[in-house]
Amino acid sequence: MTDLILKADGLKKHFQVGGGFMAETKTVRAVDGVSIEVRRGETFAIVGESGCGKSTLARLLMRLLEPTEGAIEFDGRDIAGIRGRDLRELRRDMQFVFQDPFSSLNPRMSVGKLVGEPIETHRPELSRTQRRQEVARLLRTVGLRPEHADRYPHEFSGGQRQRIGIARALASNPRLVIGDEPVSALDVSVQAQVVNLLHDLKSKLDMTLVIIAHDLAVIRHMSDRVAVMYLGQVVESGPTDEIFAAPRHPYTLALLSAIPEPVHGRERTRIALSGETPSPASPPSGCRFHTRCPFAREDCATRVPELRVAANETRVACHYWEEIAATRPKAGLTPAAARSEGAQRRFALYEAATLRQTDRPETASNAGATT
Amino acid sequence: MNQPLLEVENLRFRFRGQEQDVVQDVSFRLGRNETLCIVGESGCGKSVTALALMGLLPQDSVQFGAGRIRFDGETFAPGDHDRIAKMRGDRMAMIFQEPMTSLNPAFRIGDQIAEAVERHRNCGHAAARARALEMLGKVGIPAPEQRFDAYPHQLSGGMRQRVMIAMALANDPELLIADEPTTALDVTVQAQILELIAELQAETGMGTIMITHDLGVVAEIATNVAVMYAGQVVEYGSARSIFENPQHPYTIGLMASVPSLTGPRRRLSTVPGVVPAIGQMPEGCRFSSRCPFAAPVCAARPDLAEQDPGHRVACHFAPLEQTLERSA
Repeated sequence: MTDLILKADGLKKHFQVGGGFMAETKTVRAVDGVSIEVRRGETFAIVGESGCGKSTLARLLMRLLEPTEGAIEFDGRDIAGIRGRDLRELRRDMQFVFQDPFSSLNPRMSVGKLVGEPIETHRPELSRTQRRQEVARLLRTVGLRPEHADRYPHEFSGGQRQRIGIARALASNPRLVIGDEPVSALDVSVQAQVVNLLHDLKSKLDMTLVIIAHDLAVIRHMSDRVAVMYLGQVVESGPTDEIFAAPRHPYTLALLSAIPEPVHGRERTRIALSGETPSPASPPSGCRFHTRCPFAREDCATRVPELRVAANETRVACHYWEEIAATRPKAGLTPAAARSEGAQRRFALYEAATLRQTDRPETASNAGATT
Repeated sequence: MNQPLLEVENLRFRFRGQEQDVVQDVSFRLGRNETLCIVGESGCGKSVTALALMGLLPQDSVQFGAGRIRFDGETFAPGDHDRIAKMRGDRMAMIFQEPMTSLNPAFRIGDQIAEAVERHRNCGHAAARARALEMLGKVGIPAPEQRFDAYPHQLSGGMRQRVMIAMALANDPELLIADEPTTALDVTVQAQILELIAELQAETGMGTIMITHDLGVVAEIATNVAVMYAGQVVEYGSARSIFENPQHPYTIGLMASVPSLTGPRRRLSTVPGVVPAIGQMPEGCRFSSRCPFAAPVCAARPDLAEQDPGHRVACHFAPLEQTLERSA
């Protein structure tokens, strides 16, 4: 038995745009030759900036889009071209959590209906009463209360709506959940609640999680392995700890060094990138990053780098990563004395107080209403 | 001590028909060449505070309480729209989060910048155009002569934000208010824009108010920090004291909720609940409905009292360790 649950091989998605009167048709290469392997039970993250194709890739994996080229295997079965009943079965095993909790829930449906709908579709054998019980159970699972089933989406805050979205995704007992920026529309304190919830659910329900995000701190916190994308291609992939401690691809280096850290007075050498991501309609020749790469050499414009094994399961698509690493002994983020003792002590006091609060029975039953 | 550029004292207002203040007794000061970060989550009142300072709130729907603004030695009331309108775009300027909706899509970007120059400076069209070109170059837009004639939709998000900055700074303002200027941008582009603002600030000596929810951005650029919650400043101090010695439970909760990029991964702390709506705010300390330390005493509003020199905290429990020890 293979331990892979999802596997993509040479996946491509090209969109034709334009082509109106006298206009030329352009091909946008949103995803251009991506191969990834997701292991059963892990959290796999796909990270990149806007326009790198990460959302298109998520929709391909989910089969919300049909790939132009390439193969996708779910649980050892090819799903690239399936339709009809097979596709419906796939939707049961593989679910999606969307970014925007405000536009992804139908405002005219009550929460009970929103969560009940996928149960009706995927588990038609359940009676109406059983379905209602199941909705109540799901709402409790995501930290809401069963009474919430009678309310409508507008009565909830962003964080609560995202919980409803998660309850909907869990309704069919999926084995894999794909989240496209599941927490990026939320405020930090609420984001932390949803991050913790996803973590708990994953271990409780024995799921595999694929997270697409642009926030590297969230990625580091949640994922076991990560793939970094740039202009429709994976430039580096491997275990999350390894990539954050020793990034090898110049783009990963720049990305990590660009994140402002909430620690005062930290001096860091930033690898500044000039310009912005080129259009995926006309990607640069050779290595797609060469137009912005501070280490680029002449032949980077002509030779396409392959994703090759670097170390410890890490793969890098750069001709010169070894030489770059040799000149930069400490490329990763140094775990410096991150926070002052005063701040650490306060964090501990705060943490202890919050735990005491949630332990109190009367507030615990309220937790669903307020969180 | 030299005189601060901007002093805001007890700014307080509500929208007509509401029973509670949207912003309550907000005070801070900003010196030349300094950056004040106003930080908080959505609904904390940080953006309306900025809009009120710029006189951009609809006049007939806002009720200002007492309070005053001192800008460069001149004192005026926060509701004095005529006075503020004369300074806006000239001596004080603002940039917004979403540059696409703040630029007029039907006009060339160069003309939009030139218009701002002509409006406030007594100069001809040619001089205004020359200034606009100079500004486009200054904010790092490649080939300004060609870009002058571009429309906003032809530019990327980062470039549009550069155009907004060029427009805001065209008249050499003494005060720049930036409302989440990098939130809609990618991190690598965000780094470029923050650097650009810092460079221009060093060059002109302007004071900057940066409104943001991102504590990373705050740590990077702030001289002083005001943490806002539900329309109140709950903690105020130098960036160093806020990060190394956070005192208010909300500040602590906010910092502890951010996942870390280094060190061991541990479960994130959270701030339970959500910000209550206006009209349902608890009396006294507005954070008390979500605070893990809340006690009966919190029904009375705590003063923004000085804990350490320059570091003010609005919490009955500050300093936290001593108070908890005493009550234990």
